[in-house]
Amino acid sequence: MNNAFLWLIALPLLASPFVYILGRIPFSRAAFRTVRLDGHLVLENPRSRIPAFLALAVMLIMWVFFAMTASQFLANGAQSWTFGSVSLRLDGLSLLLAAVALGLGTLVVIFSGPYMADDAGEEKYYALLVLMVGVMIGLGCAYDLFNLWVWFEAMAVSSYLLVAFYHEQPAALESGVKYLVQSAAGSVLVLLGIALVFAQTGTLALDQIQSAARATVNAPALLAAGALFLIGYGVKAALVPLHTWLPDAHSQAPSGISAMLSGVVIEAGLVALLRSLGSLSAVTPSWSTLLFIFGALNMLLGNLLALRQTQVKRMLAFSSLSHIGYMLLGLGIAVYSGQPGGAEGSFFHLINHALMKGLAFLAAGALLYCLFIATGSHNALLISDLAGAARRYPLPALALSIAVLGLGGLPPLAGFMSKWQIFVAGFQTHDLVVMGLVIFAALNSVLSLGYYAPLVNMMYRQKPSTAVQSGKPLPWIMGIPLVLLSLAIVAIGIWPTLVQWLSAPAGAALVSMTAFGR
Amino acid sequence: MTWTPLTLVLIGVICLLGVGFYGLLISRNLIKIIVALQILGKAALIAFVMAGNVNGQTGQGQALAMTIIVADTIVAVVGLALAVQVRRRFGTMDIKALSNLKG
Repeated sequence: MNNAFLWLIALPLLASPFVYILGRIPFSRAAFRTVRLDGHLVLENPRSRIPAFLALAVMLIMWVFFAMTASQFLANGAQSWTFGSVSLRLDGLSLLLAAVALGLGTLVVIFSGPYMADDAGEEKYYALLVLMVGVMIGLGCAYDLFNLWVWFEAMAVSSYLLVAFYHEQPAALESGVKYLVQSAAGSVLVLLGIALVFAQTGTLALDQIQSAARATVNAPALLAAGALFLIGYGVKAALVPLHTWLPDAHSQAPSGISAMLSGVVIEAGLVALLRSLGSLSAVTPSWSTLLFIFGALNMLLGNLLALRQTQVKRMLAFSSLSHIGYMLLGLGIAVYSGQPGGAEGSFFHLINHALMKGLAFLAAGALLYCLFIATGSHNALLISDLAGAARRYPLPALALSIAVLGLGGLPPLAGFMSKWQIFVAGFQTHDLVVMGLVIFAALNSVLSLGYYAPLVNMMYRQKPSTAVQSGKPLPWIMGIPLVLLSLAIVAIGIWPTLVQWLSAPAGAALVSMTAFGR
Repeated sequence: MTWTPLTLVLIGVICLLGVGFYGLLISRNLIKIIVALQILGKAALIAFVMAGNVNGQTGQGQALAMTIIVADTIVAVVGLALAVQVRRRFGTMDIKALSNLKG
């Protein structure tokens, strides 16, 4: 079958309404339950497990299409498909984003089976989750500025709804509103940038913009458009100081969604930013400086803000900021030097960050489920609640430790390998400023252990807290994604070439996008 | 700079952007904030029609503007749905009530 990547995009988009509708159908009288809402008894949604199984089935079928897509890509290189003025193109970067979104999405669906079982509105959750994975794969393949924005907006809408999923909780609503208002304002800025590019060059296709930008170096309209892209997509990619929605949204969303938001959604924002800025790369050589500045700010502020957190999920959310900073550093190095090394390192770090942060949020979510949600409480999980968690919950505690130590960059784990690759690429530029930034990044990496290590210490060396003592046992299904992700992190740490088939074409794609005018 | 109809449209876009961002920063009522977001969206929409006019592809500019209307409406619907829930849980539309998450 030609163009398997179209099916990879179309299947989740088509399946999402079916997940919702089949989840709404009451197959038996007992499927209904009554809940008390605002003092009235109302008939709630049918309690069927159909949406969960359907979502899992969709994900598994998508793996078949993904395998076909990947083999076609590795054999024939980039593929494109055009329908009218809409063109989709699958290159290395798209394949990487698809792999990360699909991989983490599948594990989150498995994890959410027991996690969401007691919540009303499961069918909405799974329908939106499937939709979000499909839309992110589409975003990676968009090959025209406006099309890119449409996918981006669709991803944003599905994630607004998922962030505010616990709409009966004030904190979740608050974070949903903040996220929506900031994101929507950002997307208007992106639109203005696209309008400027369209007025100036008369085209929206990325490659044609690239050649038009080479003809008009330093065109003010294109410079302004680049700045608008940086700010607009920067809201979603959580560039400091546009990050203020992120800790609220990550900590208030259901844990599976926190993993998706932190592991894939902000990276999808980064990919959208790279595609847009990449098409304008010939306008001015100073984009790399901007990437360096935002990278340094993200690393420092992310780490400093994470140090003073008391909630586990909030701390992990702030550490996402610093990891976006490492990726920006690597991408800046690649744009600055025109060599793919830094970009390969960054995309390798993107994969690793998705695995490690996904595992961290899922493990924290598993502990949150056992300690609070299963007992009917909706408290936030504090770091002090985890005291002695390793005694009663050895698997989630070990998984969380592997994840945070990997994020901190301890050698046998995946995070070290990708950071190392970025740092090596930085030193190969032989530029004093870049080398200074690399040293700054390495120091930040050490600083991050300042909040990861106490967490591990708390779980392994303290007396069990009351929350741990009264916790419920861990459902075995939740253990599957934790084990798989932990194994993946250790395996990539030992054999870093394991995912090179994904990161190397993505790095080459970025350099071919940006090094056009050189 | 000569005063053409295009200049007027450009001034209109800039004014709409100003009104939208002013409303976004000043309003404390959630509904007014969503209205401000809509005004911003309309500014972008007119900018697209204008861009299409500038480069001689009026049709494509208008087609893109139609797409923006759809996307904007979806965002407004989700925002209003959240506003309804906020009114139910907080009993107010004032966004000062929505500032418990900090740090």
